[in-house]
Amino acid sequence: MLQKLKTLGLAVTVAACLGGQAMAGPYDEFAGTTLVVNFPAHPHYNAVMKILPEFTKETGIEVEVDQLPYLKMRERQTLELGQDEGDYDLIAYVVFSKADYVYADQLENLARYYMNPKLADPSYDADDLIDGYVYNIGFAGGNKGYLQGKTGSLFGIPYGSETSVLGYRKDIFEKHGLTVPETYEEMLDIACKIPELEPGMGGLSSRAASGHHASHAFLLHLAPLGGRVFDDAWNPIVNNEAGVQAANALKTIVECGPKGASSFGFGEALGSFLNGDTAMFLDTTVVAGQIDDPSKSKVVGKVGWAMHPMGTRRGSQTGGFGIGIPKNAEHKDAAFLLMQWLTSKKGDKLVALAGGNPSRFSTHEDAEVNAKFPHMKTFGEALQHADPDWRPIIPVWGKINADLGTTLSKVLTEDLDIQEALDGVAERTKAVMEDAGYYTWK
Amino acid sequence: MSYSTLNRLTPYIFLVPALVIMAIALIYPLGYMVYGSFRSWDPSQALPDTDFVGLANYISLWNDPNFHESLMVTLKFAFSVVSIEMVIGVGLALLLDRNLRGMSLLRTLFILPMMIAPVVVGLMWRYMYHPSVGIFNRSLEGMGLGSVDWLGQHALLSVVIADIWQWTPFIFILSLAALQSLPRSALEAARIDGATGWQQIIHIKLPLMMPVLIVTCLLRLIDAFKVLEVILVMTEGGPGLSTEILALRISRTATEFRELGVAAAMSNYLLMLLLLLTIMMLAYNKVLEVRAARARRIAEEGL
Amino acid sequence: MADQEKKQHPAFYALLVLLIMMSVGPIALMFVNSFKLDVDIISGTSGLLFLPTIQNYETALCDVLPYELDHLDFCSLKFGGSFINSLIIALVSTVLTLIIGCMAAYALVRFRFMGRDTVSGTTLMVRMVPPAVLLVPVFGLWNNEFCLDKEGWLGGLIRDNFGGRGDVCLAGTHSGIILIYVAMNLPFVIWILQSFIVQVPRQLEEAARMDGAGPFQVFFKVVLPLIKPGLAAAAIFTFRIAWNEYLLASALSDRDTKTVPILIVNNMSEFNVEWGVIMATGVLLAIPPIIFTLFASRQIITGMTAGAVKG
Repeated sequence: MLQKLKTLGLAVTVAACLGGQAMAGPYDEFAGTTLVVNFPAHPHYNAVMKILPEFTKETGIEVEVDQLPYLKMRERQTLELGQDEGDYDLIAYVVFSKADYVYADQLENLARYYMNPKLADPSYDADDLIDGYVYNIGFAGGNKGYLQGKTGSLFGIPYGSETSVLGYRKDIFEKHGLTVPETYEEMLDIACKIPELEPGMGGLSSRAASGHHASHAFLLHLAPLGGRVFDDAWNPIVNNEAGVQAANALKTIVECGPKGASSFGFGEALGSFLNGDTAMFLDTTVVAGQIDDPSKSKVVGKVGWAMHPMGTRRGSQTGGFGIGIPKNAEHKDAAFLLMQWLTSKKGDKLVALAGGNPSRFSTHEDAEVNAKFPHMKTFGEALQHADPDWRPIIPVWGKINADLGTTLSKVLTEDLDIQEALDGVAERTKAVMEDAGYYTWK
Repeated sequence: MSYSTLNRLTPYIFLVPALVIMAIALIYPLGYMVYGSFRSWDPSQALPDTDFVGLANYISLWNDPNFHESLMVTLKFAFSVVSIEMVIGVGLALLLDRNLRGMSLLRTLFILPMMIAPVVVGLMWRYMYHPSVGIFNRSLEGMGLGSVDWLGQHALLSVVIADIWQWTPFIFILSLAALQSLPRSALEAARIDGATGWQQIIHIKLPLMMPVLIVTCLLRLIDAFKVLEVILVMTEGGPGLSTEILALRISRTATEFRELGVAAAMSNYLLMLLLLLTIMMLAYNKVLEVRAARARRIAEEGL
Repeated sequence: MADQEKKQHPAFYALLVLLIMMSVGPIALMFVNSFKLDVDIISGTSGLLFLPTIQNYETALCDVLPYELDHLDFCSLKFGGSFINSLIIALVSTVLTLIIGCMAAYALVRFRFMGRDTVSGTTLMVRMVPPAVLLVPVFGLWNNEFCLDKEGWLGGLIRDNFGGRGDVCLAGTHSGIILIYVAMNLPFVIWILQSFIVQVPRQLEEAARMDGAGPFQVFFKVVLPLIKPGLAAAAIFTFRIAWNEYLLASALSDRDTKTVPILIVNNMSEFNVEWGVIMATGVLLAIPPIIFTLFASRQIITGMTAGAVKG
């Protein structure tokens, strides 16, 4: 079957060459290629699915997408990237996989593609890509090993950039004369007032389920409250004052939240906001599309957006996905062309209009996009305060993240003392870091 | 090949496929696992490229509080599930052991939960336990009783309930079969002697059913250690580690933490635990049989 | 006895009804919900007052429906493909297990290799091994060791004819998953069939042999037809495991060989739990086992009790 397709593709290519020898475009050489790409099941990539036919029409390159839940995606990629020859030509990877893949030398350094005049589009305008994301998702080898810097280089392009924003119910806030919170104190205060003002409604819906969700929710508060997981010498400082404050904030939010909040994953947290069970939602920007979709949401038109409240500083999350080319891919050049097309000004705007998260400054300011999604401007502003270092992206992070997440979940459901819990995390983290060799240079 | 050699070789020819498949796909993997459990093994490495670390994986697990908790959760889950199911299942069998017209239909409906995919069972229960949409909280609220945080604060209980729903029929059906194969003469004799229903159950039915009940209990206990999909779909092991049974932890260690060596060591611990339980129950069964035989002999000598 | 029963009637039948409701209720609930839109499920227009829709089934089956769906922008859930994978894997592994198991059971009984105790012991041992324990070794072996070099003649042949890249490994193929299912089910099947073959009168076989039938003919023409009920029971149990299993299949399958349980777990996506569609996939997955149960409950019960009760 595949063989047949290939033959067919060859025939098409030959025909294309014969037909249009005079005006050989950048894509002609690859027309008829089938790229196998691995994307997550995620609202942004659902939007990407809608614009892919456009790419195929324009370039003649076919794309076969393997869509997986994002944690599952990582398992699959670990396996595929480890082989001599892999199935995937282009992968979307979660931010924290960057460390693993780059360290294991499994992603292509993009320099040689951008240097290739036959592949690189001169009108690409890389400066328009949002800095924080390129540093957070694309770069490796610079500061702290996982950020931009003089020793760093580019391994991927952010695609599906998210930051955190505060969604609030305009109608509820108006009804009770509440002002949109600017600081953490105000936000926690309002979060606990809501259940009194509106019986049956929770204050803020946050994820809190054991593992990645609880850890994510905690880190969301840690950066604005002035905390970090590690200091500059890789000592865990998650148990300092800011850490305790962040855990307390999470606990307050869950306690004043909707019922069952302590077991919410992202889906449940969003679901309760969509269903009108909570007055506020503090998480990624990726949800905006669903909130405006009447088949999924009961709060269409009732939601306002504001910046992630300040603690001691602005520090909204940087998250989402990057796309990169595996070292063991079969069609690397064509994969680069797809990657470039998707992240170009045109592709970025198309995906934004289809409900995705744009990764360029210009798209956030684009009139057409803003007319369709009025929140885009706030999101663009929030992106400028996005903190690329809100969570460490080191190879052992997966393990620390899991420990942090389960421990916090215990704080939320079993009333474990916060200081004690975080001290435990710090201690175990220290051991993990020691094992991984982070204290070699002491 | 002559006819007689073919005849002589037949049994081997008949056995070989089964032996080959079990050797390749069961015995060899288990050996491979034991070998792997002594190595520091990452999913991106092939096993021969890994480093030998001795007992390090076993020792670090032995000292790992998360492993202890997961082990405790597994034991709690398995024993509570099996004991509750035994009581309900045997109780129902004693109650329903009579000639009813709809009995076969009833049994058919009872085995449905067992036949359905665990993944589907998990998803049904996850829906029913849903904090606001689920049928439990809705009914509770309808009766004005307030809601329960099923999969949050009472996650283990919720998981146990789902398992009881799925597997009590197994015990019911086995005990019913055991009851119906009891020697009618013994029961008849007891009734003539004027034994009440309870006396019949305690002194005659239960002791006679005992060997079957022990095997049933053993089979169920072994299966309780294998439960994974239902819990995976319902809670993913959370909140905290409160429902993270060992099978789930093995799969998380292998895929999420990427420590295949540790996962292999954990698998070995689980296997040893199961082996121990099996041997204990079989030994107990043997003791019972020996005692029964001796009692019979004494009774015969007494005559 | 009879009048005793009459006295209990009302409470007794109430109990029966309650039990039936409890065991079938959740399944019925899933069935009903699969015909509701998500908005109806979430908002709880409870009970049976809703407009039934087959939209969830359309969404689930979008890759095999002959027409385009208006409510979908693209077909993300490829249920049809997974269903076919599940079917291939479950059917082939059932047939293989039965053939191989049958032969082995026959040899064990007729040629007195091992006593029934040994077989029972082995069965119990294998039953003791949780699939999670097999996860790590099977993952490692199927991906790295049970491979054919793509330069070799067979590996090269496969690559030329079926496409794909790299060495030809068992992981990611139907055969890889089938192999582990066959191995997992064999001991149980051998054990069950053994108890049926023991009951086949030896004289019948000897009579056939007198008539000049070879050992294979005796086996296929005389023994097999007599143990049909045992075969049915064994088949249902094997099929059930192969059809329902998630963990090993998820470790061994790739994008083209996903089975339905994997699809369902994958689509309990954290971003958007689409209850209606998930319930629809759940119903579709549950239908074959339910049909078996309704039509062959006697064989299932035989299979279940054969072990424990007969010893």
